[in-house]
Amino acid sequence: MNGHLQFEEDLELHALGVLDGDDKASVEAHLAGCAECRAKLAGARSRMAILGLAAPPSAPGPRVRERVLQDFRSRRGAGAPSPAATPIRRRPSRWAPLWAMAAVVLLAAAGWLRFENRRLSLQLDELEAEHQQLVANNRQFAAESARAQAALEVLTAPDTVKVELTAAAARPVPHGKAFYNASRGLIFYATNLAALPAGRTYELWLIPSQGAPVAAGLFNSDSHGNGEVVLPSLPQGVTAKAFAVTIERAGGVPAPTGPKVLIGATS
Amino acid sequence: MEPITGQEHARRSADEALMRRILDGDEAALGTLYDRYGGLVYSIANRILRDTGAAEEVLQDIFHQIWRTAARFDFERGSLSAWLLVMARSRSIDRLRRRSIVTTEEAEPSNMALRAEWDLETAAAQNQMIAQVRKALEALPEAQRQAMELAYFEGLTQTEIASRTGDPLGTVKTRIRAAIASLKKALGV
Repeated sequence: MNGHLQFEEDLELHALGVLDGDDKASVEAHLAGCAECRAKLAGARSRMAILGLAAPPSAPGPRVRERVLQDFRSRRGAGAPSPAATPIRRRPSRWAPLWAMAAVVLLAAAGWLRFENRRLSLQLDELEAEHQQLVANNRQFAAESARAQAALEVLTAPDTVKVELTAAAARPVPHGKAFYNASRGLIFYATNLAALPAGRTYELWLIPSQGAPVAAGLFNSDSHGNGEVVLPSLPQGVTAKAFAVTIERAGGVPAPTGPKVLIGATS
Repeated sequence: MEPITGQEHARRSADEALMRRILDGDEAALGTLYDRYGGLVYSIANRILRDTGAAEEVLQDIFHQIWRTAARFDFERGSLSAWLLVMARSRSIDRLRRRSIVTTEEAEPSNMALRAEWDLETAAAQNQMIAQVRKALEALPEAQRQAMELAYFEGLTQTEIASRTGDPLGTVKTRIRAAIASLKKALGV
């Protein structure tokens, strides 16, 4: 069946009569060898035939009806062949020798019928399998449908309570605190720091009143997001205007380059 | 496979009963069938052929074929109204283009396993279906509708349509496929 799916659309094009050239040849070649698609072609013809209803309605002359009935009367009366009523005539006995030949034909026919019977029972097995598959599909569809209905009932029931939920807690904001004494030294700690990927470190900077930032120590956050720098060695005679923390490559850098995480002025 | 509605069963049995009476030589039954479907068949033939005389001949030929082949019509597999729609078009295109779109074998009622999902028994039902088909066609983009009309009523092939409209063949093919998909969706067939 899968081999024919693409082909169903082609059947409609064939029924419409628009195919030509190679397209037409390939559809006709397929139809010649595929009974299933030949059967489906009739359905495609039916679907396309409906378009005929778009023709502007018009009526034939009244004489046509009379001609149709007259035609029926005359030819019917003249003994037009009726497949349902073909008389069976008894043959005279001089045809008797033909019975032997008929018997041979009947034997051959019996053999063919046995073969045909086997083929049909194989077909029946296939149809039975297809039927079972359809039953299974139907059962699954019914289960899905029941579940969808139950979900809809929860949504629409008057006693259903609607509760709004938001994120359990806002993402913690990093926070740092520096205790700075120009003559005695610096103690810094920070909380809520994000864990850094391998090869990265936090770097604390002392930003002087004049000149470039001075590296004031490297640190990493622990499993609780805490980090600290205690009494780093700082150059003499430098007074801090502010402190900042950046993320740098492991080992630190002489001047800040990475993203700024924290900053705070001394006053 | 679509389920057959109760209405469909009723219509089928009504057509089938008429065909049985026709087989018994009942002229009035053929008259009833003609009154039921003659207008539809003629309208299609007249639209395609644009010649009332030729359209009347197609109509007469088709009704001749109905009673000649009534015994071979299989109501378990097909529907008379759909068979008539197919035959009205194919006979008219045969005449217009000298080209068969339905083979002699396919035109045999016993081989035409059509299913009419549509009820066309009464004039009211026919009018309703006509309005629905027109609406579906009118909803198509202009180029798609033109391609479908050239295909259905003029009997042109995709190459002939491309040549008529001056569009590339690939564009015409895409348009027709898209139009068929839209129409099937709109008409539920």
